[in-house]
Amino acid sequence: MTEPPRLRAAGLTRRFGPLVANDAVDLDLHAGQIHALVGENGAGKSTLMSLLYGLQRPDDGHIESRGERVAYASPRDAIADGVGMVHQHFQLFDSLSVADNVVYGAEPVRAGGIIDRRRARAEVAELITGYGSHLPVDATVGELPMGLRQQVEILKALYRGADVLILDEPTAVLTPAETDLLFTSLRRLAAGGAVVVLVTHKLDEVMAVSSWVTVMRRGAVVASLPTAETSAAALAEAMTGRSIVPVTNESETAATETVLTLTDLRVTADGARTEIRVEELTVCRGEIVGIAGVTGNGQSEVVQAVVGLRPCRGAVSLNGVRVDGLDVRRRRGAGIAYVPEDRRGVGTAPQLSIADNVAVGQRRGFGWLSPRRSGAAAHRLIERHDVRGGGPGTPVAALSGGNAQKVVIARELGHDADLLIAENPTQGVDIGAIEYIHGELLAYRNRGRSVLLVSNELTELCALADRVYVMVDGRVVAEIPRSGMSEQSIGAAMTNAGDRHAG
Amino acid sequence: MLAKLRGPLADGAALPALLAAFAVGAIVLAIGGIDPITGYSALINGVFEETNLPYVVAALAPVLGMAVSFAIPFRMQEFNLGGDGQLVIGGITGAGVALALPDWGLLTFALAALAAALAGGLLAAISAPLLLRGRVPVIISTLLLGFPAVSLASYLARYPLADEGSGTPQTERLPVDMRLPSLGDWSPYVNTGLIVILLVFVAYWVVDARTTTGLDLRVVGANPRFGRYAGVNVPSLLTLSLAASGAIAGLVGALLVAAPPYRFIDGALTVPGYTFTGVTVAMLSRGRPAALFAAALLFTALQVGGTGMERDVGVPRQLTAIIQASVVITFVVIVAARSRRARAKAGLR
Repeated sequence: MTEPPRLRAAGLTRRFGPLVANDAVDLDLHAGQIHALVGENGAGKSTLMSLLYGLQRPDDGHIESRGERVAYASPRDAIADGVGMVHQHFQLFDSLSVADNVVYGAEPVRAGGIIDRRRARAEVAELITGYGSHLPVDATVGELPMGLRQQVEILKALYRGADVLILDEPTAVLTPAETDLLFTSLRRLAAGGAVVVLVTHKLDEVMAVSSWVTVMRRGAVVASLPTAETSAAALAEAMTGRSIVPVTNESETAATETVLTLTDLRVTADGARTEIRVEELTVCRGEIVGIAGVTGNGQSEVVQAVVGLRPCRGAVSLNGVRVDGLDVRRRRGAGIAYVPEDRRGVGTAPQLSIADNVAVGQRRGFGWLSPRRSGAAAHRLIERHDVRGGGPGTPVAALSGGNAQKVVIARELGHDADLLIAENPTQGVDIGAIEYIHGELLAYRNRGRSVLLVSNELTELCALADRVYVMVDGRVVAEIPRSGMSEQSIGAAMTNAGDRHAG
Repeated sequence: MLAKLRGPLADGAALPALLAAFAVGAIVLAIGGIDPITGYSALINGVFEETNLPYVVAALAPVLGMAVSFAIPFRMQEFNLGGDGQLVIGGITGAGVALALPDWGLLTFALAALAAALAGGLLAAISAPLLLRGRVPVIISTLLLGFPAVSLASYLARYPLADEGSGTPQTERLPVDMRLPSLGDWSPYVNTGLIVILLVFVAYWVVDARTTTGLDLRVVGANPRFGRYAGVNVPSLLTLSLAASGAIAGLVGALLVAAPPYRFIDGALTVPGYTFTGVTVAMLSRGRPAALFAAALLFTALQVGGTGMERDVGVPRQLTAIIQASVVITFVVIVAARSRRARAKAGLR
């Protein structure tokens, strides 16, 4: 008889009203496994993890730990049973030290309930060494880069004795080098007998690091098999239920005319960071130009300065004409369209209808608005871009993330502006929608328009961009042409700049 | 909290609020020892009685006007609570200008009404730079600016513009030719002012539903960041909407001065509570034109019907104020409860 799984989900079902988020889900997590859990948005991954971590209770089915039935009433029970979770958004005290953050809530105490800080520090230092890291135990967390903050989160779970570690989209905020480091650590943890659960949508990472992979679709498990027996393409097909052909940029660009020129642009950043500076950045006609960088390195501030939402110094020229003195409306009129990163907060008014969301900014005639015509325009847009989940009168809030993003992209493409700025246009959308959005961006470029694509997905940039600027810490540190472009070369540019900065 | 009153959470909250309010009114009647059915039928009779109906129609003009006035900035989530000040400034300006200019009849009054709208608009528009440069919330600045405005009007009616012989703080009467002509021979209170206000209302409806300005207002109200992103000039939209709001309030003031007793009397414009009724109407209808008109009719009828009820069954007309207040409170409670439920649901996910 084989050993029972370390943690097992047996027929877990969770309903939200009429929606079945998890439908009789079985999942076996064995010691020593790096178990990848993949699926599109809304496939039920997050719900399953919430059930295993005690955040929610199943309507049906149960959880077994080391072969015995358990019922977690709250995360406290799950933690006591050795289940740890690292959320996508870190839950750390920025102003406290690494040691304080790790022990918080589980501090070693001396007689009389006094926190034994010396013992805490020693224990954490030992834990760090055991994890194979050089994390400084006394450093203030707020001053650490994202990769190290994530280590603090992992150490927090390990300090509480976790031998089941759930990581939700752990690489979203990491540089390629930090990702490699994380994977090395995860392999070491698994080799030591822990279970690592990796919730992700990046299939290349699944292939690189996991030993077992489970695919979810519409609340149910559709495949669960050793990673060695599958491929990224097969996983994509299992996730979506159809075959996916990745879009890539294959034609040469004959870049001649410059559409956008930034010269000595200086932008004040949010937070304490120093000024963001771009000495020179150009986008030519018929070109997709990427800006690569981990989120928060100044890309969004630069984009806001270009579209007129953030004051800046220096020159912004569109088709050779300075536009930095103009307001947003005039810059849009001069030929800038913009797909913002935050589609609910910035890109739409979610309570308003699709028709209203599309009609905003379409200024023709004397400001008269015909509800019939804007309804018809919205209807055409819905048909042409296959927006599902509603008609012209449906509020955008009722659409799924991918369909809301389609509305934003379709509206901005519809302006037919010389320059389209797209900021992480595929973040959080399904594989099918990603394929579609990439195709649209490429078609826009092939029509002789220009795209400035800001992305933290290197695969996306490598698939689409003719040229990539790499931004680190508010500076452009490299410019890479399509011929020399690879995830490795972009990653190396980020790492080198980061090292130079740290040193 | 106030912002939520405009959101989808407020959808369909008006009807239960109304029903609850009438239930509260029935309880109050019962406590007072009056059969609620008798009380409410007296209220309805009060509205439709032949002698009262003209008053309903007459009171509709200022209530509807003040509702439109409040609704315009409300569409972009700004609250103009200085309606009383703008109304009174409009009234005293209208009276002052009409009496100062040569008597060309209604032409003079039209100029006076224009001046009144200008004065009200300017007063309200001050709040735009106060927000944009001074970060003073519009809801605060409009409310506070109302007090000096009312005092100024009161001073003008007592001293420079006072009707010397009368001893009451009021201006002289407007010359006969400047008084607004009656509609039919129903009542002097039902006059062409109603037509003017109906035109204002129609203009509001057209702008709201059929122009990009109306869409911009709604977009900024729903999500200001989206508005700025899409290229809406938020500062100028704010200034414009406050100016329009104040101008309509000022116009209402002038129209009231040209109705009986054809003069500005200190306090006479604020005592009936047109401003607050207008605020209630605009909030309940969430500024949507058709609903706004229906709500204006209902609340005007309530106010006037209360008088009939007082006379017929001896119930003080303050009962209608209780009903009115209950509507607002219930409405806010429903929205708050829904918002809590929505948040609890979001927390689950």
